[in-house]
Amino acid sequence: MTNPLSLWNFYFRNKRKVLPVIGILALAILGVVVTDSLLASARETAYATFGSYQKLILVAPRATRDQDLANPLQDSLTRLHDVQLQVDTLDGPGGITSYYNAVVALPAQVRAQLPAVQRLQVDSANARYYAGRLRGDLVPLGDLIVRVQRLQSEQQAFNQLVTQLTQNPNDPRPLITYLQQHQTFLRSVLPDSAQLGRLQLAVTSASADANGLQQSLQAMNRDTANLNSAGQNVANLPLPPSPSATIDRFRSALDRLTASLGSIEQPQPGLDKLLADSAHIPGTALVKRDAYSNLDINLLAGNAQFDLYGIDQPGMTQLLTLYGDRVVAGRLPRQNASEIAVSEEIARARHVSVGSKLGNNVDELDRLPDAFTVVGIIGGPTRLGVIPLDYMTEHYLFERRYQGLIVIPQAGHAQTVHDELQRLVGDQAFRLFDWPYIKAKIDSLIANLDSINRFLILLVTLVLSLVVGLLNNLFFRQRMNEFGLLAAVGYSRWGLIRRVALESFGVTLAAWLLGVGIAVAVLSWFNTVFMVPHGLLMNVFDWNVLALHTLPIPLMVFLFGMGTVGWQLLRLDPISIIERRD
Amino acid sequence: MLSAKDLALDYRTGGSVAHAVDTVSLNVGRGSFVGLVGPSGSGKSSLMYLLSGLKRPSRGAVSFEDRDYANLSGAGLMRLRRRRFGFVFQQHFLVNYLSAFENVMVGAVERDHDTAAYAQALLHRVGLGDKLMKRPYQLSIGERQRVAVARALVHRPAVVFADEPTASLDQATGHEVVNLLADYRRSGGGSLLVVTHDPAMLSDADRVLQMRDGRLMAA
Repeated sequence: MTNPLSLWNFYFRNKRKVLPVIGILALAILGVVVTDSLLASARETAYATFGSYQKLILVAPRATRDQDLANPLQDSLTRLHDVQLQVDTLDGPGGITSYYNAVVALPAQVRAQLPAVQRLQVDSANARYYAGRLRGDLVPLGDLIVRVQRLQSEQQAFNQLVTQLTQNPNDPRPLITYLQQHQTFLRSVLPDSAQLGRLQLAVTSASADANGLQQSLQAMNRDTANLNSAGQNVANLPLPPSPSATIDRFRSALDRLTASLGSIEQPQPGLDKLLADSAHIPGTALVKRDAYSNLDINLLAGNAQFDLYGIDQPGMTQLLTLYGDRVVAGRLPRQNASEIAVSEEIARARHVSVGSKLGNNVDELDRLPDAFTVVGIIGGPTRLGVIPLDYMTEHYLFERRYQGLIVIPQAGHAQTVHDELQRLVGDQAFRLFDWPYIKAKIDSLIANLDSINRFLILLVTLVLSLVVGLLNNLFFRQRMNEFGLLAAVGYSRWGLIRRVALESFGVTLAAWLLGVGIAVAVLSWFNTVFMVPHGLLMNVFDWNVLALHTLPIPLMVFLFGMGTVGWQLLRLDPISIIERRD
Repeated sequence: MLSAKDLALDYRTGGSVAHAVDTVSLNVGRGSFVGLVGPSGSGKSSLMYLLSGLKRPSRGAVSFEDRDYANLSGAGLMRLRRRRFGFVFQQHFLVNYLSAFENVMVGAVERDHDTAAYAQALLHRVGLGDKLMKRPYQLSIGERQRVAVARALVHRPAVVFADEPTASLDQATGHEVVNLLADYRRSGGGSLLVVTHDPAMLSDADRVLQMRDGRLMAA
């Protein structure tokens, strides 16, 4: 014979009152599990995305590439203006053109007697040709330099915006202000960024034309000297004064421009010495030159830059071996080719496969210039992306100034190698990125979201405790007759409290199990249809989340409900209920 | 078996004292049927609470089978009510989500087959043999009160306290309910103390005590 006051009887006979409470609690627990799991997923995916830092130290230039290039570009622009002025002078009155015209105007018999005059005519024509071309070259070059400067200032404004939004993600005002102020630029940013790679071509073309001009001018100088000496024998030769002084001034200006542009192409100062010194640090397994670039990927908690290693071909193989990765489709990038190989999770995140393109032309947030062809997919425990060092340094001015090193310590020597590297770097324009630094950054980012999440969980817990506690009290009041009778006929007060506690415990336990069960089902589905295809990690059975993080809700609800109902049961006077005439 | 000596129950409200029960002494012998009548507020229900251990007296002593309530703890009194006393109140106080049979079993001390069979027999005896599984809201008021009577008797109490058991019933149904209780007494089940304002219900009583202003009067 079962106890009529058994828990099963209570639940089964009161299911219309119990099930909504279980449903509300289960939904809240589902919400907590989902938000917590997404946060944990964001953290784990971020760890995995930057997992390569667990085995290497990146030595990167301290300044950003934009700051780094700012001074040489400004200097080049100033020099360019000088050259333009000199070209104008060269072409103006007293310059090459008037000299050329004077030479052409010499009587034919004079020119026939003086071969030097003929050579001068040819050379001055050449000089005029090159000067014309150079003027043409200088126009787009100047335009490009101005555009680069504009991009730099916009980049700074954008960085500032990112910082403001990171510090205060809920305040959209900086974003609105930025968009209002920079909309014109934003409309033109794509063509500008696409043209950045052409700066070097323009410089090369200008340099070639300048060389031609210089050679022509040197020949003209010789011709003029010859003519002057020959002219001593020809009376009243109607030649204008030699333009050699003007030519010399132009040449000086051109030399200064060439030197200034050349400094942009120089590698990062101090890198070669650092490379040599790093290789001698005890405990260092490998040091490689690295042309840094990155891809924009989504980490759930926000976009992040997935670091690409721009290294030579042997280095690519060494990296894969170090991490236990392998090429699962396609191949590694070839020497001096605009090719890239990335891990399969990154490929999934960017929806690319072998043959697809990645880079600034595809996604403006990529710090990979132009468009690189995906030639290989890498599989294995660590996410990697590799591009050829030589292609980067030979095709992009910036990469020559923005090179760093990859230093791989031997097992157990990470700290000593880091310390020694730090000593070597000293005050130079480099900084170190290693796993502790990266991990701290990730944790810091997640910690902010975690704080918001915890606050929300606390709020939900409190509100639910209040709501379910009030429902409990309402339900209890409806059962006051039952408890009054039981107390009157001799059921012990503590026995009644124990019974109500077990009833509440059963409800919260069922809600918890149901909530966790639904959460596991929802997360499994979400993991399959969204997370995995996007290269995001999710641990569906994270017991930390499923158990520890969800327990405060049923616990608080139980304690609050039991606290209020238990208090009323302790103070219950059965006679007042018996005598109630309702 | 159940005796009270100089029982008093005072209620203090502000500076004044109301004597709900004022120096009452009585004996309820084994197997006897004692009726307690009186107008509203005369203290008959209060006296029943004192005799059943639902309240502690301000003065005087109550004892059951020679055990003084004063020497019993709260838990001891509860056990006494649970095991030896049966209660019928003006309202049925049935548990809504339980059947008639289960409501009767709420009063059982042992929940074995014999008790279950006895519970069913009691329900048959009170005329609800075909409504064992009906819920309280499916029964009439009189039927509910009969279930409450069966609940009060299922553990074979030594004393049944009935506080205005017929107040919410019509005359015929009220008689029916009191007769059920009287049957229990007649069959040797135990003593019966019935509090009522209707002396007509006490035709089978051995003694009818009249209360007024907290005191027992000659009936």
